[in-house]
Order: sequence, then C-alpha cells, then structure tokens
Amino acid sequence: MDTNYETIIIGGGVLGSSIAYHLSDCKKDRILVLDQKFPLAGTSGSTQAWIWVHNKTPSWYAEFNMYSAELFPYLAKKIGDVEYKQTGGLSPFFNEADREKALQLAKAYKEIGIKIKVLSREEALEKEPSLNPNVAGATYSSIDGNVNPFRLVDRYMRAAKKNGVQYSTFNKVTEIQKLHDKFIVVSEKGTFVCKNLILAGGTWSRELGKLVDINIPVNQVRGQILVTEPLKPFLNYTISGVRQTFNGEVLIGYSMEKEGFNRATTLDLIQETANMAVHYIPGLRKAKVVRAFSGIRAMPEDGLPILGSIPGIDRLYVAATHSGMTLSPLIGTLMSELILDGETSVPIDRYSISRFDSLVR
Amino acid sequence: METDVLIIGAGPAGLTAAVETASRGLDVTIVEESLSMGGQLIQQTQVLGSLPSFYQPKRGFELAQRLRKLVEDTSVRCLLGHRVIGFYKDGSVGISDEANVFPLKAKKIIVATGAAEKAIAFPKWTLPGIMTIGAAQTLLNRDFVLPGKHAVIIGTSDFAMDVALQLSEGGVQVKAMVEKSQTVLARDTEKVNQVSKMGIPVHVNSSIKEARGIGRVEEIDIEQREQIMTIPLDTVCVDGGRSPILDVFYQLECSFGYQRELGGWIPQYNPFFRTDREDVFLAGNAAGVSSQGVLLVTGIIAGINASESLGALSKEEAEIKTTSLWKEIETLETKLDPDVWNARIRHVQNYEHPVLTDQFIS
Repeated sequence: MDTNYETIIIGGGVLGSSIAYHLSDCKKDRILVLDQKFPLAGTSGSTQAWIWVHNKTPSWYAEFNMYSAELFPYLAKKIGDVEYKQTGGLSPFFNEADREKALQLAKAYKEIGIKIKVLSREEALEKEPSLNPNVAGATYSSIDGNVNPFRLVDRYMRAAKKNGVQYSTFNKVTEIQKLHDKFIVVSEKGTFVCKNLILAGGTWSRELGKLVDINIPVNQVRGQILVTEPLKPFLNYTISGVRQTFNGEVLIGYSMEKEGFNRATTLDLIQETANMAVHYIPGLRKAKVVRAFSGIRAMPEDGLPILGSIPGIDRLYVAATHSGMTLSPLIGTLMSELILDGETSVPIDRYSISRFDSLVR
Repeated sequence: METDVLIIGAGPAGLTAAVETASRGLDVTIVEESLSMGGQLIQQTQVLGSLPSFYQPKRGFELAQRLRKLVEDTSVRCLLGHRVIGFYKDGSVGISDEANVFPLKAKKIIVATGAAEKAIAFPKWTLPGIMTIGAAQTLLNRDFVLPGKHAVIIGTSDFAMDVALQLSEGGVQVKAMVEKSQTVLARDTEKVNQVSKMGIPVHVNSSIKEARGIGRVEEIDIEQREQIMTIPLDTVCVDGGRSPILDVFYQLECSFGYQRELGGWIPQYNPFFRTDREDVFLAGNAAGVSSQGVLLVTGIIAGINASESLGALSKEEAEIKTTSLWKEIETLETKLDPDVWNARIRHVQNYEHPVLTDQFIS
C-alpha cells in the first residue's frame, strides 16, 4: 500500500465517502479513506435515511438541506440507483394551536423559496388516508423523501474506488502530526503522509479533534428504531418519524437519548416509540415489530453542520454534521470545491468551526 | 410481576435448572416460547446413550416426560407461549404473550435458550421439500407427518444417523447420505452399521451441487470427484450443525469468547455457569453444550449456583456438588469427544479475559 497521498479522509461513512467520491470525480489525485471499522458499521448504517428538508430551522439551514436534496436525482445518474424516492414529507399536528406555528414556518420558508403547504384535516387525510382521523392538519413539502442508506454509501464507495480512491478499513488513526506542509497520519496499520487532511469522523469527531488539539464540539445522540414485518405498500409519504421502505417494512423512530456510544435498545423506548407510531397511524397497531436497533447520531453542539477549513492549521478540514444522508451530496461537492479551488459555490462561512471556541491549546 | 429466578427456555437444561431452584423453596418462573415443555427432547425417539450416571438410559421423549413431571410437582410458574423480547432500563425483563408485553423483575436469570439449526446454502436451496434435519425429525416424530417419500440427507453426524434410521423406520426411502469429508462424522459405530444394514448408501468426499424443481424439489445433483450424480427425490434434509442462541446475552451485555468446538461464539462463564454478570447464569446449548447428558448436568449446576447466590444453599455444599457434577461432564465429554472437553476447559479458564466485551459500543 502507498504511504504518500494528496488527500486523506478520516472516516468512510456517508460524509467521508461522499467527499471521497466528489473529490475524485473532479481530480483523480491519490486519495485515501481511513475507517476505524468499516463504512456503514456506525451511524450511516443505522438510520431511517430520510432526505428531509422541512421543519428544519433556521430557514437558511433548511435552504442548505434543500440544495442537497435537489442533487439526489442527478447523483443517482452518476453513481447508480440508491433507491431514492422523492415521496414528499408530511408532518401531522394534532392541536389547532400548532396551525399558527405551521403557518409561520411556511411564511419563513417562502421567503427563501421553500414551498411548504399547511394542510387542513381533510387535505391531510386525503393525501394520507391511514393517518389518525383525529389529526388537526399537517405541513407538507414535496422535496422530502428517503433513500436506501446502504446503497447510498456503497455506491459512493464504489464510484470513489473506480476513480482510484483507496480505502483502508479496520484501521484506527492514533496520531496526527503537522510537519512543514505535510500531515503525518499514524494508524494501526501504518503511517501515511498527505497534503490535505479531512476529518469526517461523525460521532467520533471530538476524539479526532483531540489528535490535532482542536475541540470539535460534536456529541452523540442515540435513536432507537423499530422495524415492522413487510406490509403491503400503504404509506404514500415520508411522515415525520415513520416511513415505509421499498420492500414494505415500516421504519419507526422518534427518540433522541444521550447515552454516549452505547447502542443498546431498551423496551421502555421501544414501547414509547410503538405508541407514538400507533398515535400517528392507528393501522400500525396490527403490524408485527420484527426487530429494533439503535443508531448513534452525530450532533454538533448547536445542531448545525461544522464544515470547512480549520483556522490556524493550513489544509486541515472538518466535515461533521447531523442529517448526513440528506446533506451528503452537497457537502461532498462543497468540500471538493474548497480543497481544489479554495472557495465554494454555496457559502459555508456560517458553518465554520470558528463559531466555537475551538482551540484547545 | 416478581420472581426469585427467571429461567428462559424449558428445554432439558432449563427444566433441570428449574427443579434445582424450585426444590430449594425459591420462587421460580419459566418462560418458554413454544406451547410445551421439553424442548428438542420431545421428538427424540432414540435411546439417549450418554446420560449422567444418576439417570437410567431413556428415550428422549420419555426423559422429557419425566422432567416435566418433576417440574410440575414443584411450584414453578410456567409461562408457555411467552417470549422474552427485551429489557427495560431498570433491568426488568420484557415478556410478551404475543398480544401484550409486561415487565418481570427477577433476582437471578438462568438463560437456557438452546441452539438453532444452521442450514447449508446451495443453488435453489429454498425450494419446498428442502429442510433442516431437525425439521424433518419434528415433522415425523412430533407431528406424525412424513416429510416426503424419497429423501437424501446432507451430513453424517450422529444426529443425522439417528434421523436417517427414524425416517427409514417411518417409511421414507432414504436414498443416500452425503458427506463432504473423507469419512463419516458419526462417532457411534453401532448406528453407522445399522444405517448400512438398512441399505442406505453413504457417499463421502461428496457435496450437493444444486437442486432443481418447479414449485418443489424434484432432483438434486451430487458431486463426487468431479462426477455428477443426479438423484430424483422429494425431500432433502440438511445437517448444518447448530449454533447457540445468544440474543438474550447480547441484550444483557454479557461478554463472549470464541471456541470453534463449542459452536463458535458463546458467553463467557465460570465453573459455576455464571456469566460475567453476577445475576445471570446459563445452561445447555446456549453454553455451547450439545450432548443430551451434559445439557442436563449444566442445568443442574446453574440451578445449584443460582440457589446458592440467593442463600438457599450453603457455599460449601454448592461447591462440593458443583465439583462432582464437573466430574460427570468430564466423564461424558471425554468419552464423546475429548476436543470438546478441552475447549470447555479453555473457555472456562478464559473467564477473566473475554474476547468480546463491547458489542454495543459503536
């Protein structure tokens, strides 16, 4: 295996692999992806994988998500079928009081060009007849949908490899040094040298940051997800918390817990989640839940992506975010632009790590 | 609901554990997903040869009846048709009766979940008529249904020999037994002789290449030294061995070790058949035990030591009993297969140094 690279990406999840693909698609120039386990072993492989724009706040963050969601049809043409479905997204509400909030959200979104409809009870039930008839209404956006996360990451990886990107897996990075204009990356399986270094460690970003004395304020959030037996296709839309996959299984998940890296499931939350699902879609009461799993998600301290170069260390970059599935095509594109051209077609200054007090030393 | 000892699984190991604990006055609950007690013993019509010295040789279903009787004579609470489906944050066990889920608080848990058969994959292996060898035996001996008329058995373990004889006696024509190794795997030469007396051909150095059929299996190709032999049939019984059922141990965050001879990954346990969790014991197939006699002994050991941990018997007495029961295991296992016994000793010695401890850490 070579030891000398132009660019090394630490982390081969949906973000790292997207960056590897997009970068190699612009310039095939000795790229290495290091993963402490294997792509899809962590967060990217344990998600409901919505492509979700609507009800994200502030509105400029929703806009950022929209740009990314819009890239999916084009992405599928380049890397292959990722089972992306633009189903449209529904967020039901059950109190009349929530209608006012929904109208305000719709207004704020409208100013930046995201169309959200606030549906009446009848309109919501007409669109999605299996919703609880006690629903008061719903917000609806046509841009939302979902994707098969396994296909997405696998396709990124295959396309990247086709472009000459190398992957070294089950290979944890233990030490990073900056020497003149090069990074020395020490890993369990060897030492590598590169000019550009990208930290895309997801939930492990904080640990990676410590290797370069930078505080990357990303926390872990656990989500427990239930999977039903395959049911006949009956859900027309991606509904907040519930979606039906291609093969008929319904994925259900609402929870966010602070449990560090512990991926266990608990019956307390499984039951709570099931009750929530039945409240939204009463017909699910008859469905059999066949399994439950947990995923550990990356959650930056203020909820917003941390993207771009790291001030003070030339050619060191970070990409860490929640909603990695939705944002991966855009972040992959923008990070490639940043590395190759020094500027991005969509501004990312808002997402700079410099908004935090990040230097440890 | 509360109980002193929860036993998961009412197979032979779970039942002996239940007798040991309940007979010492403890409040014992068994959860069993099927509707009857006895586990896989129910459909074993052969005489079980290698039972512990304190048992008379018996047929499997007779032993199941006896164990069931012993349990019924105690005050054990038997939740048949119930399953453990998870754990609550406070440690309570979540039990489902398929309609509702309720919590059960147990001071000690004995996991006796058994093992699941492994299938062997080959082209068209999902055609109806192709089944595991245990499934064929269950159809024949428990449900009194012939799995078919003309069968081939893939595998030559002792269990495969038993089932070959039972199928033949039941009226199924066993056309061949197929073994990919150079020799027959069964250690019981008497059984192997019986099979050959029945006129069942055994092909060694052979493997199944593919199955064919429309809607159900109609013929298979057996490859032997690059020659293909096509056999018309309606039933294929595959013996892929068994692997311990470990889900509960994962949920309980127990540590694991790997012993190929014991079935692969199994929970780490000490001589008292306790896992690295103070309140979790185990017995039987789930502990990497596959011979009927040893299953019973491990259930007794787990039951005795769970009782000791609840103060129902003295430490000294428990140790004396445990030591003499380990002698039984040694006698039985060295006779059946010394490699298994050696692996068991290694596994217990590794107790302090488990290989896998953080399976839930991403």
